[in-house]
This record gives sequence, C-alpha cells and structure tokens, in this order.
Amino acid sequence: MTVLAAPGDTWGIPGPVFLRWYLLAAAVLVVGTLVHRFRALAGTPVDGGAAQLGPQQAAYLNGGDQLAVWTALGGLRHAGVVTVTPDRRLTTAGSLPAGVTPLDQAIFNAAARGVHSRELRHDEWVTRALEQLRDGLQQRGLALGPDQRNALRRGPMLIAALLALGVIRAFVGLSNGRPAGFLLLSLVPLFIAFLLLARVPRRTRAADRALHELRNRHTWLRPSAAPAYATYGPSAAAMGVALFGTATIWAMDPGFADQAEIQRQALGASGAGSAGSSSSCSSGSSCGGGSSCGGGGGCGGGGCGG
Amino acid sequence: MTSASPEPTPTGPYGVGVGWRPEIAGFVAGLPGLRFVEVVAETVNPAGPLPDGLAELCERGVTVVPHGVKLSLGGAEPVDPARLAHLAGVAAAVNAPLVSEHIAFVRAGGLEAGHLLPLPRSREAVAAVVANVRRAQAELPVPLALEPIAALFDWPDDELDEADFLTEILDATGALLLLDLANVHANARNRGGDPRALLDRLPLDRVAYVHVAGGAEQGNFYHDTHTDPVPVEVLDLVGELCVRRRPPALLLERDGHYPPAAELRGELDALAAASGYPVVT
Repeated sequence: MTVLAAPGDTWGIPGPVFLRWYLLAAAVLVVGTLVHRFRALAGTPVDGGAAQLGPQQAAYLNGGDQLAVWTALGGLRHAGVVTVTPDRRLTTAGSLPAGVTPLDQAIFNAAARGVHSRELRHDEWVTRALEQLRDGLQQRGLALGPDQRNALRRGPMLIAALLALGVIRAFVGLSNGRPAGFLLLSLVPLFIAFLLLARVPRRTRAADRALHELRNRHTWLRPSAAPAYATYGPSAAAMGVALFGTATIWAMDPGFADQAEIQRQALGASGAGSAGSSSSCSSGSSCGGGSSCGGGGGCGGGGCGG
Repeated sequence: MTSASPEPTPTGPYGVGVGWRPEIAGFVAGLPGLRFVEVVAETVNPAGPLPDGLAELCERGVTVVPHGVKLSLGGAEPVDPARLAHLAGVAAAVNAPLVSEHIAFVRAGGLEAGHLLPLPRSREAVAAVVANVRRAQAELPVPLALEPIAALFDWPDDELDEADFLTEILDATGALLLLDLANVHANARNRGGDPRALLDRLPLDRVAYVHVAGGAEQGNFYHDTHTDPVPVEVLDLVGELCVRRRPPALLLERDGHYPPAAELRGELDALAAASGYPVVT
C-alpha cells in the first residue's frame, strides 16, 4: 500500500509515514544513548578495593565539590586546626599536621584569610585543589570529567531536538485540523526518556560500588550511632562527613557547625538520624542509651555502680 | 540450670574484652586480638537484626555476653517475665555462653529509679534475690552471672557482710559471679574496709569474668563513673585478684567521654599486662 501525499498533509508528509520515521529515529536515539551511557559509566574498579579511597575522594564521588570541601573542613576541625570567629568567619589555630592533602592545605589557607565557610568552594586555591582531586578520580575511572559528561549529554540533546520537532509538527498539524493523537502519545515516553537521560552522573558504576562498600565498612560512623569522634580521629571523622553528610559535623561539633553556618545534610543513611542528629548525650556523663549504668540520671551520686 | 558449669558453652569469655557500645563500634571492630565483648542487653532487639558491628563480631567468633541492667533481680516483686524473655532472646540472638545482671533493684512499687540501687544485706534480701535468680535461671537458655554493685552507703539493717551476702546468694542459686573490681574499690573507698580482704573471702572459683572501669574522686567520694580513666588502685586490684586466682576474662567498661583510641588501647593493654592475658590491641 502506498500512502500518497494529500494536499492537507503537514509539510507534505502523511501522518503515518512521519510517525513511522519519527518512532524509528526515537528508538535509535534512545537505544544509542543507553548503550553509550552504559559503556561510558562502567568505570574501573578501585585497585586494591574501596579501602584505598580517602575521605575526600569518597566525598567527591558521593556529593561533588561541596561535600569534598565539608569533608576536608570536618577533618581539619577535628584536628583542631580550624575554628570559627564570633562573626562567623573561619580562622586557623595551630599548624597543619603532616600528611595533609592539597585540599586540606587550600582550605586551611582560605580559613587563615578569614573566609566564610560557604565561600570556601569558590576560593581560587580550593577550586584548583578540587580540580586536582577530580582529575585523579577521573584517571582512575571513578569520576567523570567535563568532556565525558558533555559527551554523555549529546544523546539527550538529540532527543530534545527530536522532541521539539515532534511538538512543532503536532502543533502545526493540530492548527490545520489534522489528527496528531498518536504523535502526541509518542512524545510522552520520549520526554520521560529525555528527563532520565539528561541527568548525567558525576561518577561511574565502579565508584557506586566503591561507595557502597565504604558505607558498609563504616556503618559505625553513621550519625545515628552517636560515634565517639574523639576516639576515632580526624580521618574517620572526615570519612563520616564524606559518607553521611554534614550531619556528621553537626553531631561532632554542633557549636562549630552552627557558628560556621554549615548546612545540615544527612546522606546515604536511611533511618540514620536525619538532618542534624546532634547528640543528646554531648555532655557524656550519665547519658542513658546504651550505657551499662542502668540508664539513670545523674542523681543519687553513685555514678554507674554497675 | 542451677548447676552452672565453670566452663560454659560455646566458649566462655576469655582474656581481655571491652564493653561494646555503638559509639565505639568502629574502635572495637579494629581490635585484632579481641575474643570477648559485652553488650547492654536492653539495647539489642532480639527479634530484629543485630546492631551493625555486633553482627560482624559474632561472625568473627568473638564471644558476646549480654549484660542486663534493668531486670531488677533485687526487687521485692518477681522479675518481669517480659524483661526476662528479652534477655533470653538476646542471649540466643548473639549465641551467648552466659548472661549477666546486677544484684540490685531498679524499680519498686511501680516506680523506676533509673539507677542501680543497693540492697540491704539482710537474710530477707538474700531470699528475695535467690527467688528472683531462680526464676531467671528457669527461663534463661544459658548460665547467669551476678554482679554486685557499688554503693555509697550501707543500709542500717545489714545483717551480713558483703562476702557472706554474695556467697549465700551464689551458693543458693549456683549462679556465677561477675566481679566488678571498680565497685570493690569504690565500696572500700567509700564505705571503709580492705578490698584485699574482700577478695580473700569471695568465692573466686565462681568468677565468670571481671569488670574494670574508670571513676573519679569527687567530694570525698569515689564515683564509679565509667567515663573516666581506670585509676591505678583498680589496676592494682586486678593484680591482687590474679595473684589469688586469675579470672577467665576481664572486661573494660566505658560508657561515655570516650577518649582517643590510643588512650583506650592503653587501658586495654594495662589490663592485659596486669592479668597476664594476651594483648588484644
């Protein structure tokens, strides 16, 4: 059967013909984008396991630049070398310990210049250190660089163009009294596919697995467990921020977090004391939960006695 | 289960252990030589999954002893069957070789003290404790170890001294003894008496394991806080005890103000040194 162009056909192409080619193009684009995406996001498994990743690397993979900054700041705060002034600017105390990362150095320097915590990320040195961090992760097949992310956006862009074509055709057709029901119907799944594919992740699947492993390995750092940060040390505290968000800084040092105006955020922990589970046991003495003291108040004067 | 064997199944507590708390779960998990922990029974839900970290220790073969704090064995009324069932459930969930509780009361007449309160050392109290311990033993799947508590005062109607009081309860019930050396020190310091003399008179062959904890001098009293370093006097008592009869295991209890890991390791190492058990750090 041949479908002849009738005078009323939009752009001189009969609806069924256009629809057939349109759907074919859509399928090719979506499948092509999916295949490209699947390959590009595979990444490289971490050499030696996820334990090889440091807190700032984990933070970048988990939450990008901002989380990497909070992670470094959390570690520096735990080490006691960064503090905050009454006018909410960061400042330094003492000198940097040995073995710090370039990001630590950059943030320490920015703090010494009295920047506000939310400006850290845009500080020149910090930006450079973040680029360095990302480049390293990109080379290891864990993070995606700008070029890779742009390449991943090409498919969704073409889908958007196809969507636009479909919308225009439907509009023109409808205004000329031509039916466009099937075309409009096919726009819906295409639009959904566009929305899903337009979200380009910052990390590869290898990084997903590494983060998952790190979270399992560090469940004891969940803010809901009220971790004894003093026992764990700065690196573990930083890992807590990297994996579970700034809720860790709030749990560790609510005074600093509040004064430095650090945004509360709880990550990667369903049921793990949501935003800012600042410890109710911060005084440490005679707190009920989990102690072998019988969960009592401090009254009676006997201490624990058990 | 009135005849508790001195070597309970599967493996009784051995060597130097530490009280497992969620706050320091990461520290405890990182102790390579650890063979024994204690968990506060009331913090574990026997029906649900074990807390993260504790499950891993169980898998590693570390002995986990549930330590109850709210059974109120010393109460005048019978122990609450629901609390008893909970303790039994926790014991099963962690495959514990034994459980422990205090010789104390935490509630009376429906009021919760929120605290471990000492019993008068009277025959009547012995009878009440023995009755409750027997009830508990009938329901528990594993032996029960009893821990005497620290108190700042003596009741005016005490008929027995501490050693006789404990020995009578243990003899009547066959229960094991969980000896808290910090409490021994605290009692001697606050109520008078020689801690060594007490050690001489206690049935040391019944000791399942020993508690060691920190405390602080405050206002002319020694407070068994569990949030301060272990004082040297308590470590000396560890040595004194081991000279008489070395207990199968010693456990460091810490319940707050957790210090840097190095300090906690130092306390565990000091326990190992004082008792001659292998270091766990």
